[in-house]
Amino acid sequence: MPTYTLNVNGVNRTVDVPDAGMPLLWVLRDFLGFTGAKYGCGIEVCGACTVIVDNQREHSCKVDVSSVVGKKIVTVEGLSGDVDGAKAQAAWIANQVPQCGFCQPGMLTATTAAMKAGHHGKEIAPEVKHICVCGTYPRINKAMTGL
Amino acid sequence: MDDLATAPQGPTRRDVLKSVGAAFVLPFAISISPRSAEAAAPVQIGAFIRIDETNTVTLSIGSSEMGQGIMTGLAQLVAEQLQINWSQMRAEHAVGGAGAGNPYANPLFHAQITGGSTSMMGWYTPMRTAAATVRDMLIAGAARQTNTTGWRLGTAGTVTNGTLTLTFADVAATAASITGLPAPVLATTTKFVGQRMQRLDIPAKVNGSAIYGMDVQVPGMVFASVVHCPTLGGTVAATPAKPNRAGVLGVVNLDTAVAVIANNTWTAIKAARDLEGTITWLRPSDTTRMDSATLAATAQSLLTSDSATAFVAEAVGTPTMAGAVKTLDQTYRLPFLAHACMEVMNCTASVTADRCEIWAPTQGQEFIIPAAAAACGLTNDKVILHTTYLGGGFGRKIEVDYVVQAVRCSRQLGVPVKLIWSREQDFQNDKFRPSALIRVQAGLDASNNVTSVIYRNVSPSIKLQRGPSSVTNPEDTGAVAGAKGLPYSFTARRIEHVALPTDIPLGYWRSVGESYNTFAVESAMDELAKLANINPLTFRRDRLADPRAKAVLTAVETLSSWKNTPPTGYQRGVAFLKGFGSYIAMVAEVGKTTAGTIKVAKIYVAVDCGVVINPDQVEAQMQGGIAHGLAAAMWHQATFVAGVPQVRNFSNYPYLKLQSMPTVSIKLVASAAAPGGVGETSVPVVAPAVANAWAKLTNTRLRSLPFYPGTTMGGL
Ligand code: FES
Ligand code: FES
Repeated sequence: MPTYTLNVNGVNRTVDVPDAGMPLLWVLRDFLGFTGAKYGCGIEVCGACTVIVDNQREHSCKVDVSSVVGKKIVTVEGLSGDVDGAKAQAAWIANQVPQCGFCQPGMLTATTAAMKAGHHGKEIAPEVKHICVCGTYPRINKAMTGL
Repeated sequence: MDDLATAPQGPTRRDVLKSVGAAFVLPFAISISPRSAEAAAPVQIGAFIRIDETNTVTLSIGSSEMGQGIMTGLAQLVAEQLQINWSQMRAEHAVGGAGAGNPYANPLFHAQITGGSTSMMGWYTPMRTAAATVRDMLIAGAARQTNTTGWRLGTAGTVTNGTLTLTFADVAATAASITGLPAPVLATTTKFVGQRMQRLDIPAKVNGSAIYGMDVQVPGMVFASVVHCPTLGGTVAATPAKPNRAGVLGVVNLDTAVAVIANNTWTAIKAARDLEGTITWLRPSDTTRMDSATLAATAQSLLTSDSATAFVAEAVGTPTMAGAVKTLDQTYRLPFLAHACMEVMNCTASVTADRCEIWAPTQGQEFIIPAAAAACGLTNDKVILHTTYLGGGFGRKIEVDYVVQAVRCSRQLGVPVKLIWSREQDFQNDKFRPSALIRVQAGLDASNNVTSVIYRNVSPSIKLQRGPSSVTNPEDTGAVAGAKGLPYSFTARRIEHVALPTDIPLGYWRSVGESYNTFAVESAMDELAKLANINPLTFRRDRLADPRAKAVLTAVETLSSWKNTPPTGYQRGVAFLKGFGSYIAMVAEVGKTTAGTIKVAKIYVAVDCGVVINPDQVEAQMQGGIAHGLAAAMWHQATFVAGVPQVRNFSNYPYLKLQSMPTVSIKLVASAAAPGGVGETSVPVVAPAVANAWAKLTNTRLRSLPFYPGTTMGGL
């Protein structure tokens, strides 16, 4: 059982995992109690599992836990502590974006990562190719215009 | 509710809607324990409302919050009667119930089910009545507690007698024991009702704290992944050995599937993959009734079979094409569909010798409780069901299959189990929206009146599949929803349904029967308008007498600038629906992509859903339903080869992306009528509006859905 120390939302956490190839998603959800990142497809299509690793968006369903040691991991639970993340959350509330809400952690983390990469306003949408089965797209598009 | 006795997985929704039985009785069934006035614990007043020491008012709802905003909508009704501040208002799911005396059963059909866009229809008056009763109890409680008179409602969660003002929290304990009040007078103010109140669930849904079924954590729980037989209807021949992998705790034979239990989800998923291909299954010997090509051929033959075999859902006069001046005879095709809830099927269960506790994303509490009780040999009252937020439902989470699996795993293992399907298992083990092959024959007279309509829908019957096997003609009114009772002035009509025999598991999908019939009806109406050489919007409006129906068409005519020439390269198509207690008219503005495929640029909607509780949430449902309906119209189909479902993941079941979402303009048509449904109304009209615009643009009529079958994402 390999042991890793992960920095999640600014806090170091040490965790024993079954193998080095365990996806970050399940480490976050089952071992560390961060259930904000969601399982949606497991094949990097839906985007529900997106987290931010060293300012880049990553599909946590496909990121091996061993590859993120020493990096800064931010989940939706940590967005309020980030300038861009907090802005995105405020825009989501102002535009009353979520319906079921299940896709929104991924939408929010990917939006925040796009902002960190220098994208703003209408440039963000092409960076976020996620699925929202509820169809909140019009409101996400609107929320992004102010970011 | 006669179906409840016969259908193991529940009544058909449309039938449930019809069985509005005894008058609603205000359900104060939950026992109220008297508390001392000093107690700091929250006080429950009746079944729905709790007041805590900070003067926060918490509403417990029986409806499931799956994205449609029902928690907020019902809370607005309560806040209006109590005249509190919105910041004092909270809402949560009530504990699940089933059977007689459940205060959380939808008063419309006396079952705790969320579906058919009925929550607001069912609760609008009962919830306001319940809240007004609590208001009167609080007022009476203040009088009793202070032994004074002249009390009335104050502001911000207070009661006052002019000199003394007390908070709800101050008087709640006394209020809870007040009985014998006269029927309350309902406040008709509009401080909350009709206002764009912010959703109560949104803060938790943007900071990650909202708990969905998948997020439930119970001390000591273990994790399960499942492998179903790849062929539908197959069963486990022999329980396989536990995979030899660290962390695997056991396997459970679930008859139609095997669950692998491990000490974390990832290990369970990997162990389930180890098992795939090694399990010996008893596959059904005949899979022809679960094969798309075979089913299509059978449907084709039933399209022209003798009427004696059909369920005649509606017969007015004697429709005949013989004397018609112009006639239409066309066939429309719609595929099986998957639900693809963003949150896959999952459930957490903790079963002990005398108790079964469940945490589930469910729209079907009514069915879960008896099913879980039966699965662990307990009585219904020993089942404690917690409803979590649902990551989408769309009709799929009214089923009990995934819940029973978790219950059985926990029972066998003796510890709490969180069971999660993989996305592949979720797509392949759906309860699929029935396919439909629909023939429409219609005749016009010299004045372009629609004198005769003969409509035949050949479609698998959910009611037949779930009913007793002795019934061969199920009279499935759900299968003709959206075709039966059309408000158009057809002089003579016959609406028939022929059940297509299939063993593919069927289920209710967002907008039920209307999801297929409206495509045929509204495409045919356009084709008739063309035969008559009349503007299709006018053609419809002139054949409708109901002023609400006419009004939504006129509203969308204005909203879409229908009378003005569309932008170069674009054309507009219209569709109309009276359904779910509401009226909707939609116009799609459609052009071509550079590849020559469908490009939907704009959608205009006019909707009359009766009294609007929250305009912002009606608009959200319109937007969401359009995105849902458009993805289905463009790309979605579930196909089957010899009983094996072919859709495996979102990679061959695509959805829109942010950039492909058309612009949506919405007009809410003011109405004083009772609230109608909004969650499903916009879905059925999308495909015909787009097909009608495309026909105008290209002179090519698309009569088969999806427009772009296969995995290539043509269009948009
Ligand atoms: S779960 Fe990772 S992209 Fe869908
Ligand atoms: S809000 Fe439900 S999937 Fe996006």
